[in-house]
Amino acid sequence: MSHLQSIMVQKSDDDKMHQLSSNLIMAVSGEAGDTTQFAEYIAKNIQLYKMRNGYELTPSAAVHFTRHTLATHLRSREPYFVNLLMGGFDPDSNTSELYYMDYLAASVPVKYYAFGYGGMFTLAVMDKDYRPNMNVDEAYELLKKCANEIKRRFIINLPKFRVRVISKDGIKELPYVVAEGEAA
Amino acid sequence: MATEVMEVGDYMRDPRKHHFSPYMDNGGTTVAIAGDDFVMVASDLRLSRGFNIFSREQSKIFGLTPKTMLASTGCWADVLTLNKVLQARLTMYSHEHHDVMSTTAVAQLLSTMLYWRRFFPYYVSNILVGLDEEGKGVVYHYDPVGHMEKLTYSAAGASVSQIQPLLDNQIDALNMKNVTPPKMTKELAHQLIHDAFISAAERDINTGDGVIIHTITKEGTSEEKIKLRRD
Amino acid sequence: MALEALHGITRYHSKNEMLRDEMMIPDMENLSNQCQLAIPSIPKGEVNVGEYLVDETGRKIKLNYAHGTTTLGFKFDGGVIMAVDSRATSGQYIGSGNVKKIIEINPYLLGTMAGGAADCTYWERVLAKQCRIYELRNRERISVAAASKLLANMVYQYKGYGLSMGVMIAGWDKKGPGLYYVDNDGNRMPGNAFSVGSGSIYAYGVLDSGYSKDLSDAEAQELGRRAIYHATHRDAYSGGIVRVYHIKEDGWIKISEEDCKDLHYKYADEKSAFS
Repeated sequence: MSHLQSIMVQKSDDDKMHQLSSNLIMAVSGEAGDTTQFAEYIAKNIQLYKMRNGYELTPSAAVHFTRHTLATHLRSREPYFVNLLMGGFDPDSNTSELYYMDYLAASVPVKYYAFGYGGMFTLAVMDKDYRPNMNVDEAYELLKKCANEIKRRFIINLPKFRVRVISKDGIKELPYVVAEGEAA
Repeated sequence: MATEVMEVGDYMRDPRKHHFSPYMDNGGTTVAIAGDDFVMVASDLRLSRGFNIFSREQSKIFGLTPKTMLASTGCWADVLTLNKVLQARLTMYSHEHHDVMSTTAVAQLLSTMLYWRRFFPYYVSNILVGLDEEGKGVVYHYDPVGHMEKLTYSAAGASVSQIQPLLDNQIDALNMKNVTPPKMTKELAHQLIHDAFISAAERDINTGDGVIIHTITKEGTSEEKIKLRRD
Repeated sequence: MALEALHGITRYHSKNEMLRDEMMIPDMENLSNQCQLAIPSIPKGEVNVGEYLVDETGRKIKLNYAHGTTTLGFKFDGGVIMAVDSRATSGQYIGSGNVKKIIEINPYLLGTMAGGAADCTYWERVLAKQCRIYELRNRERISVAAASKLLANMVYQYKGYGLSMGVMIAGWDKKGPGLYYVDNDGNRMPGNAFSVGSGSIYAYGVLDSGYSKDLSDAEAQELGRRAIYHATHRDAYSGGIVRVYHIKEDGWIKISEEDCKDLHYKYADEKSAFS
């Protein structure tokens, strides 16, 4: 939730997630400006699709649309530099989905992922403790572990993480994960 | 030689970057001082590039309207282009409206013109002077991309860092205790400009040869040339 | 802008296309559409217009960009405080000590200025026009969120071309006090307190330690003033006049404009009176 400008924390309640529909969220990182502009463009187009057709894109369809948009811009004069994670719940097939997408428009369905420096610290944590049949509380605890590891080993101060859970009931906000602990 | 290069083949050589720079610093200094019912603007007459002197009689002041003048230094090529375009726009305006543009309008037009070329700027330091709607003297100072400041006096160009502090001290009495700033008269303005250019010519190689002083009042304009060091 | 309508320049051109070509007067599209600037015919990565231009011999020619600043703005129960210094520098030279870094967009909106002075004044002037047009079209004032987004979208179009601006847009709308940060990267974010510019690190030190939501008007104004004063003291690129504005429900008011030299001795006297 921190927005950093060079060495300074400029904002401590930033929301890097964009809601695309009632059961779809996009978390973005990358070049400042590009991130919000791209996310808002995608969000508005997905909403437009629903208005025109009377039904929503499925999460995987939304991901393919996003990937196509990003790939088209990649070969243009002004590409977007945006890495993103898209998480959604498909009520028709009753499945939850998570997609990784980097700025080169490579899209991969994943079970968990973390971008940036934070990923270096936390991917191993998730590799070790992730189980496909976790419940929400267990998943929340795993996110907490990740945040604690970042607090312990990463030189940059990222104290608070926003958590949202997407399920058949839609999108729900959970309490912030506040990192604890220090390096041994 | 050419065949030799061909034999080696372009692909055998490292890539070379070719530089092209459309900018040049031609020196020159301008000063302007406004009073309640007049404005005085002056420039030196030297045009140079580094230590080469191109001209000893090149004024950098351009009359725009009967009550507005522009003093420009920097890249002389850009000075000429900028003035050509500005003059054309003023002519178009006067044909359209059967009236000359006011000094304040010219001031804003110049700012917008400079910002138009924000990503490939005119390398020019401008001082625009004139009489406003009430007949008061005004001075506008610009940076090369159109930031505009309304002042009562200003220096620009090569010797700005020598002349501006002198004017700050003599006209506004900045940071002086128990000194009241003098009332600006034509005589005082003339004296200050003359002294400023003598000092600048003494210490700056890009300023010298002579100084031309224009005065604008509601009666009209006048000009005067004074000699400076020619070394 | 409005000046263009006054000139009738576009009308002149459309009537007389041939004449324009003969006269060879370059177009200046930003007289009629302010968002359209000349794009140089070299790739944007090579548009080397930062702090300097390079002349034929490869020497750097200093551009008199007005740079270096301390500006701050914060929301509290009594509205929004904005405080700024007034120094504009180009390299080591102080180009001006009297710059108005708070730009009065309309009676309810203020913008600050950090980065390129021309960039900030130009785009905030365009914003002022857009806000006025919004009022005329919609019969109500523009929100701070919308105004800041107009600005962010305009400068985002020129991302990578070398614009330099870090501004705060503050005002009062239906939702109450509003404060947004907008910069040339395309960032736009709401917040309770921002400080922008080379002196911001010093201003934050004072601002953070004295900030709370329930400050009185006088306390808040003094906090802004003090933060800027301390920044002018430590940051050589900041100085001159400390200007403080306060935005309340019925618009902004100018609180004070004091020379930081006078503030220095005032604060020094207060300090010695205590010890």
